[in-house]
Amino acid sequence: MDKDVLSYSVLGRIGEGAHGLVFKARHLPTGREVALKKILIKNLEDGIPINVMREIKSLQLMRCKYIIKLYDMFPSGMSLVLVLEYMCSGLWKMLRHSPQELTLPRVKSYTQMLLKGTQYMHAHYVMHRDLKPANLLINHEGILKIADLGLARLYWPDGGRPYSHQVATRSSQRICNSTASKTKICFLVYKCDLCRWYRAPELLYGARYYTEKVDIWAVGCIIAEMITKKPLFAGESDIEQLAIVLQHLGTPTEETWPRHCELPDYNKITFPESPPMSWTDILPGVEPDAIHLVKSFILYDEKRRIPAKQALHHPWFRSRPFPTPLSEMPKPTGKISS
Amino acid sequence: MFSTSSQREFWTFSDESVLALHREKHNIGFITKHGQHIDENQRYNFFLSPEEERLLLRNYELHLKEFCRRFQPPMPKGVTGTAFQYFKRFYLYNSTMDYHPKEILATCVYLACKVEEFNVSISQFVANIKGDREKASDIILNNELLLMQQLNYHLTIHNPFRPVEGFLIDIKTRCSLSNPERLRTGIDEFLEKVFLTDACLLYAPSQIALAAVLHAASKEQENLDSYVTDMLFKDAGSDKLAVLIEAVRKIRSMVKMVEGPARERVRAIDKKLDRCRNQENNPDSDIYKQRMREALMDDDITYTGTSRMSLDTSGVTQVLSPSAS
Repeated sequence: MDKDVLSYSVLGRIGEGAHGLVFKARHLPTGREVALKKILIKNLEDGIPINVMREIKSLQLMRCKYIIKLYDMFPSGMSLVLVLEYMCSGLWKMLRHSPQELTLPRVKSYTQMLLKGTQYMHAHYVMHRDLKPANLLINHEGILKIADLGLARLYWPDGGRPYSHQVATRSSQRICNSTASKTKICFLVYKCDLCRWYRAPELLYGARYYTEKVDIWAVGCIIAEMITKKPLFAGESDIEQLAIVLQHLGTPTEETWPRHCELPDYNKITFPESPPMSWTDILPGVEPDAIHLVKSFILYDEKRRIPAKQALHHPWFRSRPFPTPLSEMPKPTGKISS
Repeated sequence: MFSTSSQREFWTFSDESVLALHREKHNIGFITKHGQHIDENQRYNFFLSPEEERLLLRNYELHLKEFCRRFQPPMPKGVTGTAFQYFKRFYLYNSTMDYHPKEILATCVYLACKVEEFNVSISQFVANIKGDREKASDIILNNELLLMQQLNYHLTIHNPFRPVEGFLIDIKTRCSLSNPERLRTGIDEFLEKVFLTDACLLYAPSQIALAAVLHAASKEQENLDSYVTDMLFKDAGSDKLAVLIEAVRKIRSMVKMVEGPARERVRAIDKKLDRCRNQENNPDSDIYKQRMREALMDDDITYTGTSRMSLDTSGVTQVLSPSAS
C-alpha cells in the first residue's frame, strides 16, 4: 500500500481523539473508505504516547472480524497517521440517539459479536481494559467491532509484573493536564466518567494485579445496558461507583470475593454493610435467561466470571427471540443524527 | 506467538550472506548518491567501506550494551534485547553515514522502553546520558518516528528470555539434572554475547534460548543432549532435529567469535564518519537546524501534501555518546 498522505483524499472530520484529529478519507488506489487517526507528536513531551504504542502493538497482532483493523501507518510532518478501518456508527451513538433500534434479537447479535471479539483478544493475551459503548463501533454492514485499544496491553497468563491500576481515568487525567484548552479538559473528564461505569471493582480498589477478566466485567455492564438502555452502574466519582456496585451486589465477603481485603485501597474507605439486591430488582422486567448471563459476568470474584468463549454457548442465544442474522442488522449510513 | 509474528515473517533471514547483501547495498547507495564529485577509485578514501561500517556498528553495540547495563532505574532484560533488535534492523536498511549510530542507539533504547512497558519519561531517560541533555532529548524525540518507520512499525519483539524460562521449567519437571538454576549464570553470559552477533536476525528466539541453555549446561560439565533428542524432539522427526542441531551449533560458534573491534581502528573510522556523514541529518549542521525550524513553524498539515516535510531528521553529536567511552 502506498505509504503516503497523497494517496488519501480526506472526506471530512469525524472526531477528536486524545492525541489529535480523526478524519474520514478515501484510499485512492483502492477506493476504500478509511479513518485516518492523526497523532500530533510535536507538542508531546515524551514523544509518541505510550497509548499509541500499545494500540499499534495490539492491533498488529489482531486479525479478527470483530476487532477494528489497522491497515497502515505513515508519518506526515510531525504527526503519525494511523490508517484504520472506517466505521460509520457505534454502540454509544445508537444507545444515545436511536435506542429503539436496539431490539432484543439485535442486542443478542451485538452481544455475540462483542463476545467473539473479546474471546479473540483474550486468546491472544491482549486485555483491552477500556471496553465501553463508545469503543464499540459499527460498520456499514452492521458488524460491531472493538476499537480504541489505546489502553490494551499484552498480559501473561502467569501474572508477572504488576500493571498500572490507573487504567482509563488517571491516564486520561495526564492528558487533561497537558491539554491547554479548558473545553478539551471538560470533554475528557466527561469521557472519564463514562469509562468508570464499566470498571471492574478490583480496579476501583486499586488492584495492581488483575487479569483479562476486567474486560469480562465491562462486557456484562454493556450487555445489561443494551438490554435496559440504561447504564448498569452509573457512578459520578470513583467512590460513588464503588458504592453503587456494593449496594447492588452487597458487601463483599471472603466467600463472594476472596482476598478483597488485601487490595491496596480497600482500607481507605468503608461503606455501610448491605445485603445483595436480587437481580430481578437490579434488572426489572428482564427475562431470566438474560439475567443469568449478565449475572455470570458481574461477579466480584474474577475467577468466577465467565470467559467470553464459554459465554457464547449460553442458552440465551439459543432461546427465542433468536439473534438477528447479520443480513437483517441495521446498516448505519454514518449520518450524524444529533 | 513467534510463529505468526512479523519478526519471523520479515526480520528473520535465511543466512548471513543476505544480511551482508542488504548492508552493502545501502553502503553503495549512500556513496553513489553523495559521492558523485569523487573519482570512483578514490571514494573509499573518503567514505566508509561496508567493513568499516560493520566495525563501527559492532563498537556501538558495545556502547548500547553498556548504556543499558548502567541505566537507572535498572531496566528489565527485555528492554535491552528489544533495543538491540531495533538497532540491528535499522542498519540493515540504512547506512551509518546517513544516520549516526550514536543517535539511533539512544532512540532504539527509548523506543524499546516504551514498547516493553518500562515507563520512563524523556527527562528520566536523558539523565542517563552525558552532556547536553536537552539536545539529546530533542534528537531522540526527532528520531523516534523515523525509527518506527524504518522498522516498518514492527514493534513487537520476541526475545529469547521467555523461552529460557520455559526450558528451565521443563528441565526441572522432566529432567534428572540436579539444580537447573545453576545454569543461569552461563545462560545470562551467553545471551549478553548473543546480542553482539547477528543471531537474532537469523534464528528463532527459542533456538537462541536453547543454545544458551545447552552452552550453560556444558560449562557446568552437564550434558542435556538426551533431553533435546529424547524429550523435546521425540516426535518431531530427524530432519527437524538436524535443523535444530545445526542452528544451535551455529549460534554457539557466533557467540564464540564475538570480539570487540580494535580501539584505534574504531577511532579512525569515527573520525572519518564525522567528515563523510550526511550533513542534512547532523543536528549540528546549519541545514539540519534550518529544517527543524521549518518543521516547527509548519503548524498543521493541510492534507494537500504541499506542507509535507521529511521526517528523516536525525543526526547528532557527542552528547549522545553513552557513558562508556
